[in-house]
Amino acid sequence: MAEPAATFLAEAVHHQWTAFPELSNLCYVHGRPAGSPAATVTVPVRPERAELRVWEGIEMVKVGRAQVWRRTSGAAAPHRYSAASLVRHGLTHEPWPRVWRQVPLRPAYDAVIVGAGIHGLATAYHLAKDHGITKVAVVDRGYVGGGNSGRNTAIVRSNYLTPEGVRFYDRSVKLYEALSAELNFNVMFEQRGHLTLAHNDSSLRTMVWRAEVNKLVGVDSSVIGPEEIKRLVPYLDTSTETRYPILGALYHPPGGTIRHDAVNWGYARAADALGVEIHQGVEVLAISTTGDRVRGVVTSAGEIATPIVVNCTAGHASLLCDMVGVSTPVVTHPLQAAVTEPVKAFLSAVVVSGSLHVYVSQTDRGELVFGASTDPYASYSTRGSLEFTEELASHVLALMPGISKIRLLRQWAGLCDMTPDFSPIMGITPVEGFLLDVGWGTYGFKAGPASGEAMATLVATGKTPELIAAFDLARFAEGRLVGEKGAASVGH
Amino acid sequence: MRPVARRATPTSGRLGPRPGEVIDRARPLRFTFDGRPYLAYEGDTIVSALLAAGESVFSRSFKYHRPRGVLSATFFDPNCTVQVGEEPNVRGAHRRVRNGDVVSAQNVWPSLRYDVKAANQAVGRFLSAGFYYKTFIKPEPLWPAYQQVLKRFAAGGVVGADDPHGYYDHRYAHVDVVVAGGGPAGIAAALGAAEAGAAVLLVEEEPHLGGHLRYGGPEALRLLGELRQELADAKGIEVLTDSVATGRYDGNWIAVHQRSVPGATERLVKVRAGALVVAAGLIERPYVFAGNDLPGVMLSTAAARLVNLYAVRPGTRAVVLSANAEGDAVAALLAAAGVEVAATLDARRAETVVAARGHGHLSSVETSQGRVVEADLLVTATGWTAPTSLLNMAGVRPTYDEAAARFVVGAEPSPGVFATGGLVGDASPEGLVAHGRAVGARAAAAAGCGKGAVLPELSPGPHPALFRSTTHGFVDYSEDVSSKDVFQAAAEGYDSPELAKRYTTATMGPSQGKLELVNFLGVLAEATGRSIGELGTTTWRPPYAPVSLGALAGRPHEPVRYSPIQPYHEAMGAKPLVAAQWIRPDHYGDPDAEVRRVREAVGLIDVTPLGKLLLVGKDTPALLNQLYVNKWSALRVGAVRYGVMCAEDGVVFDDGVCGRLGEDRYLMSTTSSGAGAVWEWVERWLQTAGRHLDVYVTPLTTAYASINVAGPASRTLLSRLVEGVDLAPEAFPYMAVREGSVAGVERCVLWRIGFTGELSYELHVPAGYGLFVWESLLDAGSDLGVGPFGIEAQRIMRLEKGHLIVGQDTDGLTQALGAGLDWLVKLDKADFVGKPELVWQANREDYDRLVALVPTDERTVPPEASQLLGIDGDIVGRITSSRHSPTLRHPICLARLAHHLATPGTVVRIHLPDGRDVPARVAETLAAYDSEGVKLRA
Ligand SMILES: Cc1cc2nc3c(=O)[nH]c(=O)nc-3n(C[C@H](O)[C@H](O)[C@H](O)COP(=O)(O)OP(=O)(O)OC[C@H]3O[C@@H](n4cnc5c(N)ncnc54)[C@H](O)[C@@H]3O)c2cc1C
Repeated sequence: MAEPAATFLAEAVHHQWTAFPELSNLCYVHGRPAGSPAATVTVPVRPERAELRVWEGIEMVKVGRAQVWRRTSGAAAPHRYSAASLVRHGLTHEPWPRVWRQVPLRPAYDAVIVGAGIHGLATAYHLAKDHGITKVAVVDRGYVGGGNSGRNTAIVRSNYLTPEGVRFYDRSVKLYEALSAELNFNVMFEQRGHLTLAHNDSSLRTMVWRAEVNKLVGVDSSVIGPEEIKRLVPYLDTSTETRYPILGALYHPPGGTIRHDAVNWGYARAADALGVEIHQGVEVLAISTTGDRVRGVVTSAGEIATPIVVNCTAGHASLLCDMVGVSTPVVTHPLQAAVTEPVKAFLSAVVVSGSLHVYVSQTDRGELVFGASTDPYASYSTRGSLEFTEELASHVLALMPGISKIRLLRQWAGLCDMTPDFSPIMGITPVEGFLLDVGWGTYGFKAGPASGEAMATLVATGKTPELIAAFDLARFAEGRLVGEKGAASVGH
Repeated sequence: MRPVARRATPTSGRLGPRPGEVIDRARPLRFTFDGRPYLAYEGDTIVSALLAAGESVFSRSFKYHRPRGVLSATFFDPNCTVQVGEEPNVRGAHRRVRNGDVVSAQNVWPSLRYDVKAANQAVGRFLSAGFYYKTFIKPEPLWPAYQQVLKRFAAGGVVGADDPHGYYDHRYAHVDVVVAGGGPAGIAAALGAAEAGAAVLLVEEEPHLGGHLRYGGPEALRLLGELRQELADAKGIEVLTDSVATGRYDGNWIAVHQRSVPGATERLVKVRAGALVVAAGLIERPYVFAGNDLPGVMLSTAAARLVNLYAVRPGTRAVVLSANAEGDAVAALLAAAGVEVAATLDARRAETVVAARGHGHLSSVETSQGRVVEADLLVTATGWTAPTSLLNMAGVRPTYDEAAARFVVGAEPSPGVFATGGLVGDASPEGLVAHGRAVGARAAAAAGCGKGAVLPELSPGPHPALFRSTTHGFVDYSEDVSSKDVFQAAAEGYDSPELAKRYTTATMGPSQGKLELVNFLGVLAEATGRSIGELGTTTWRPPYAPVSLGALAGRPHEPVRYSPIQPYHEAMGAKPLVAAQWIRPDHYGDPDAEVRRVREAVGLIDVTPLGKLLLVGKDTPALLNQLYVNKWSALRVGAVRYGVMCAEDGVVFDDGVCGRLGEDRYLMSTTSSGAGAVWEWVERWLQTAGRHLDVYVTPLTTAYASINVAGPASRTLLSRLVEGVDLAPEAFPYMAVREGSVAGVERCVLWRIGFTGELSYELHVPAGYGLFVWESLLDAGSDLGVGPFGIEAQRIMRLEKGHLIVGQDTDGLTQALGAGLDWLVKLDKADFVGKPELVWQANREDYDRLVALVPTDERTVPPEASQLLGIDGDIVGRITSSRHSPTLRHPICLARLAHHLATPGTVVRIHLPDGRDVPARVAETLAAYDSEGVKLRA
């Protein structure tokens, strides 16, 4: 197994993308290629020089002290997406390659990740990329991104309440900012600004609280007044005569939305290119253990031996935990969402109202995407209810009375793995080799990149990274809850 | 840019009278389309009127801005969406023209005829499925700019910030049977159910009942006439037309969206039904070939509708591609209506269309026999889609019938849910009626009416499986997704229906796949070498058809509560404060003066919103012991005690007092915001763990008006008005409750408690006398300096006194000991809610404490939520409450603080929102004012 070189690579990647946008197929190379390079090209880049050395099937970019290797041939070389390739394909009708391979399930892997949502895929990607661990299978009973990762409202932000939370989600936002380039897949991250409205003095107080913690951790948040709110979102009724007057808002400029499918597919494609296998339609039915150690998994497609199982199954998290007798406080609640027909763009920011239990954003396609808090009861039903849409509509119209003629097009639900403190559970369990990346509830899409990175480090090194240490399972027994309800129960 | 050729049309596209026409030629209407005036007849849709006037292009497509004309001539027509006045996305092929309508095309720039973005057609091959995922990646700083461009492509109409809300209504209905769909099978089902004695709601999306009979031949019209007559004679059937059953939820809870209602914009009817019969009929499927979206290419049912319902000639020279009897009939119909049928292609004999050609409108058709036929109309009849949406919502999974080339369901797919008509199979109209009638009777039986009936056989007939010709064309018109895109998606690995749908966005547009789904599956099956049955399908989710937010919301219904004393507050110009459901006086102009009045004389505050529960029964102490953290067994009659409730996790949930009024009678108060939650909480315990307890709960929150009389002169004031209660301190001490009359109003409850820290009495008077007692107190105490005080003054005083507010000085993780309630929590009680957690908490040190802080700089009141910082800048707590104290003349605060710093005298750093840091000292006690409680007990 290759030794971890995360910081080194992170730096190198940064250089690579600023210096050589056309290089993509990043890889970690075991040892050095034999012989001297076939060619060496030196490119001046500010402030250093960059050097490109080319061998058969492999090349290296050296920028300052940092170097990046990439494969230039072989099955794992991903096809690069760019405007130029789009034009080439348009002209030549050359078929695009598959985003990820379809390969038979092998009898053993170094790690099996259960769930091909963003958490499973990002973990697999970082295992391969940061740690060179590629004998990894991501298995899913359905299709890639068919769980909550394909059902969420795709809001990305870091304006949480606890310092631990803010720091963690901020890392994710940073990774999201560079993700399109990182994955060579446009994930359409739009930092359109995120507003959480306060309709009474107690929520205003919570907004100040969040803003203060955010600022202290270095995250851009502030409390703004009705005039500024009106300027950002002209369709909001900011008059004082309403039932729910808008007293102020927590404004978080880096917050925004992303295209969830693109993130899922981008990770799947990039992980696959590094050698990770993605197996759709494979359900984990049991987990076998010897003593308190994971030995393998029993799936609908046969048994697999593996020392490591990472639980990334969101709404099904507690079912998987039951297979190894790990007890967690996770309870699954449905969370509903809905989308309207498109109308011309009129809303650029994301708007959340905790008191009215609703949030809204407008997609590039012009649709309004709505969400709310979870259904109040535990359930595995994703059918949705009429009451949800009625309340949603009346609350949205209380905020924006002008849009009553827009029509609701579709409603759906996902299954959220809720924890008592509205924070996730990442890390080890009493069963060795059985790792948790669950408890993502209604807010975990934004967390995918950071948790994938951290979970991969945990798998590869056996050590829990500082960034996620506060979110361990033991906190529930030890009374170290990370209370995020005030920042996560309505706006996700 | 090439303008779209105006189609060569006869001076008028209107035919002579048709037997089934729905237009009233005696009633002409005027409207405008893109600024030009047009005429319509009453009953015309926007599109039928425009077609009759020779227009054929109604929209530009989403991505390529291709001109589009009528396709299905139904609500789900993807190409006929227009803006009508302030209303976006109106279905022009469904919406009836109203006199004066101002209609405009959507998604055009600058106009329908000259659309600059049609340039996208030229670059279309680069805009293949998912193109945006593959580009705009670099350089990153430009992505926001690209995104703005993408946004301009958003299809759809416009809404204005100040558009009027409209009048939307809700209605509840309780019927035995809902029939969704008013074609022959649906009408018959309604009749069958009504005959069995059921109350029936028959819902039809079109403005008239009849389904496909309406635009059928003379036989169909005769049968429809009979059915209508039978319906008129039947009892117990309510018919809603221009209404659609949009959703079926658990327990046959059915949403019906009524689009035209006298006196309202729209209405949502919420129906609880014993049984649901889905009779949604069949939707004709388009055919995929090059040019299949050209104006002039339409479905056979569209042509039949235009001719028979609106007397509009859809073209002059037609090619008909038919795979079924319905298609053949339309060929005959067209010929009879004076359209020259230049060619008929029989798909059953493998004849097909290879391509449709034309600029802006169809001009010729290339056939599989190599012929090129000049035509301005191409009609296709290539098969059907079963709109099983409502059934999917009931958990039914339709199966794909290879021979019939469509999805089908059984007549009784799930308990309480039935299907009839085309969803189940094919038959003559009479056959459908017989099946519908029997299904109706069976549905009625399921709802408890009648004995049911024997179900006649109904199954689908064979039909050729036609999805795509030998060329590529559009699969999803509203999303501009072609069959090539679907092939590409499959080749890239997006090869399951869900992935391919998401990647191409096929079926995700406004019609949600009603027209497109099966073609999409057919093409995907072709691309992946699998069958539709193997592929499975995507899930149809509610609503069946889009519903306006206005209709879902209904009339604005956000009730607020005012106390009976509100007229006084208003007269005094009190500043209103929104506090959950209540609107309360924040202050009457000068809160500091109000504080001084209470501290020095006497003041009145309206505390009506305080939650009040009457608990009666001998086991009340047991209940109180279970819900509060302190002990209640020894509470004497006439005594009041403070209590705190925790949730199971030991987190503070609510606080208040509870007084024992009589042997088995207790009055409990809760916080104003907790009133509802505590009531539910009490009920929940009584109905679960406490079912054996003899306790009856009556919420009295609004039955009493509550007035707190506070200040050193309060006893003097009350002595002038109270009868039947000895107010002497020994007779009515602190923490006691008495019943008596105030200002002649009997049955008032008085308890002596004090949130403000002064001698004070809380009066609960029958609500109807609230204002009277309030004014009597003011009159009687004018010489004592009495006056009102508001919430703000109360908050200042409770802060001076160090009384916490649950939810402000505690948060979602604050367990009782961390709220300074150690003195109250009785861990030696056998059990109470939250005890295990509090026992656990009592054995540790490391939880945050509630402390009082005194900033050393007396001019700065640190705003609430300011953070407290430790030596190395880490967050160690926060200010939860802060004010300038008019009594003490310096700032006072409550704060949550890490345990290791929470000792009196410690100096901490307050980080103000403006960036400054100020030091503050931890005080000895939470109370800064009268910490001994002398005044309270005076
Ligand atoms: C309506 C809605 C709105 C949301 N909005 C937001 C938002 O705006 N912002 C945000 O950050 N978060 C949001 N979330 C939360 C977010 O979607 C989730 O937290 C996140 O997607 C979880 O990702 P995941 O990879 O852990 O789980 P998932 O994406 O749910 O993936 C879990 C996968 O596990 C598979 N699986 C389960 N059991 C098994 C088994 N036994 N064997 C094999 N495979 C199995 C499932 O098929 C599934 O694909 C929202 C969620 C919902 C439902």
